[in-house]
Amino acid sequence: MEDIKKAILEFASDSKKSKFYFKDMEKAVQKLLPDAKSREIKKAATELVNEGTLIYFSTGSSTMYGLKGRGITEDPE
Amino acid sequence: MALDPKRPQKEIKYEEMRIYSDEELRNYTEEELKNFKIKHDIPDLDELEKGPWPSFVADAKREALHRRKLAPDRMLIERDVVEDMLGQLQLSFDEGETHWKHGGIVGVFGYGGGVIGRYSDVPEKYPSIAHFHTIRVNQTGGKFYDTNFLKSLCDLWEYRGSGLLNMHGSTGDIIFLGTFTEQLEPIFFELTHELDQDLGGSGSNLRTPSECMGKSRCEWACIDTMDMSYELTNYYQDELHRPAFPYKFKFKFDGCPNGCVASIARADMSFIGTWRDDIRVDQEAVKAYIGGEIIPNGGAHKGRDWGKFDIQKEVIELCPTQCMWMEGGKLQIDNKECTRCMHCLSVMPRALRPGTDTGVSILCGAKAPILEGAQMSTLIVPFMKAEPPYDNIKEFIEKVWEWWMEEGKNRERLGELIQRYSLQKFLEVIGLPPAPQMVKAPRSNPYIFWKEEDVPGGWTRDIKEYRARHKR
Repeated sequence: MEDIKKAILEFASDSKKSKFYFKDMEKAVQKLLPDAKSREIKKAATELVNEGTLIYFSTGSSTMYGLKGRGITEDPE
Repeated sequence: MALDPKRPQKEIKYEEMRIYSDEELRNYTEEELKNFKIKHDIPDLDELEKGPWPSFVADAKREALHRRKLAPDRMLIERDVVEDMLGQLQLSFDEGETHWKHGGIVGVFGYGGGVIGRYSDVPEKYPSIAHFHTIRVNQTGGKFYDTNFLKSLCDLWEYRGSGLLNMHGSTGDIIFLGTFTEQLEPIFFELTHELDQDLGGSGSNLRTPSECMGKSRCEWACIDTMDMSYELTNYYQDELHRPAFPYKFKFKFDGCPNGCVASIARADMSFIGTWRDDIRVDQEAVKAYIGGEIIPNGGAHKGRDWGKFDIQKEVIELCPTQCMWMEGGKLQIDNKECTRCMHCLSVMPRALRPGTDTGVSILCGAKAPILEGAQMSTLIVPFMKAEPPYDNIKEFIEKVWEWWMEEGKNRERLGELIQRYSLQKFLEVIGLPPAPQMVKAPRSNPYIFWKEEDVPGGWTRDIKEYRARHKR
């Protein structure tokens, strides 16, 4: 689980875009850790959200993830 | 079957939960309403009130007046939120474009859905709607409510939000329209801890499952829709609140093919109650309909004189598969040809009833997007038993999800993925053989192809041996 979290954070800090879809994060993690299952990646991402490291970004119709502090992090006022 | 709650249900008592007194709730007169003007000029919205139908503008004005007359400490967001909302809408009418900013990072702790960020892009002009977040509240099964619950919910929303709500959104949830970010966690706390009420789904989540009232009130229900929806809502809580899908995913449950929740048009996975034995026929009641002793359609069209009931014209000739006829004064049905259109059952409910060996048909791939064309579901599983704990159905759902999560592109619905890969590929993935019922129109969409391994001898053949039997 810790390996997956590390891989997620690496992707979240280095990806071109500050907000990304779950699928893109999943692909990036599986590139580093080919055995990582989708469900494990989801669990790791949820833990990171609960720890306050990752954030959800929702348009209402679809949801993206982002690293807290990168890109838009506060209300876009 | 009575509801078997997963945990003890909390009894909500409005007298203990209420925030407002009766005087505060009825704090204006109809005379005051007639003379009431909101703080912005809204000529086009005023126009909307003049049509024959009830207008949301009239309701919003009532709420605006109500908030004007409440004491300032009786609302936690701005008093004129409704007036600013109407003002901004008028501005959008004037300019022909929206002034809502869409999306954001707002939410409640641990949930990736249920709250949708909305902001005004002209907050200096309409400061009370600088934030106008939407909250989705998971509706109750079959939308049965206790007034204690509804009144408590409305008080909470008046106090911490705009007081404007939508019963219900097209997904099925109760939609709270408009509050500020700092109110989100307190509302979530009170909903879950005081009202024993969860949020619904939004974003790339499983959306709040919805169903018709099913067996609770309807004689045609072939499945216990409320129980199925309740079970799957609980079982898939993680999918409902923690987004990991490529896009939204909707389940809807119709108790019979009349389809009162229109699952066939709106759900990525539609569950429609059906039967696999024969329609039950009470020949005495058929005679009574013919003789005029029983009013057809349960009396639904009795407001006008349509003449004597004619079973040939009104039922038999309208059967889409022509599988009915009269013989010796008795109604005959070739049940294997029945497509479950429900017309005959709806016209003569006391004579015809669904069979007793009931279950669901599962259809996949509907969507009703605003910008692109809508698509209806395609029949995938003609019949499956649907009994608690619905393990067979969960197994099917998970096979579909696994493929969609693996192959689906970002923001691609299941129906679009099936179109991109072909129905044949989808059937292979879920392990079902193709059946004629899956084909929308023979020869117009021939998407089922033979594979070499399915054909005896494969693609090679001895042409000489063939010609020996078939001359050119």
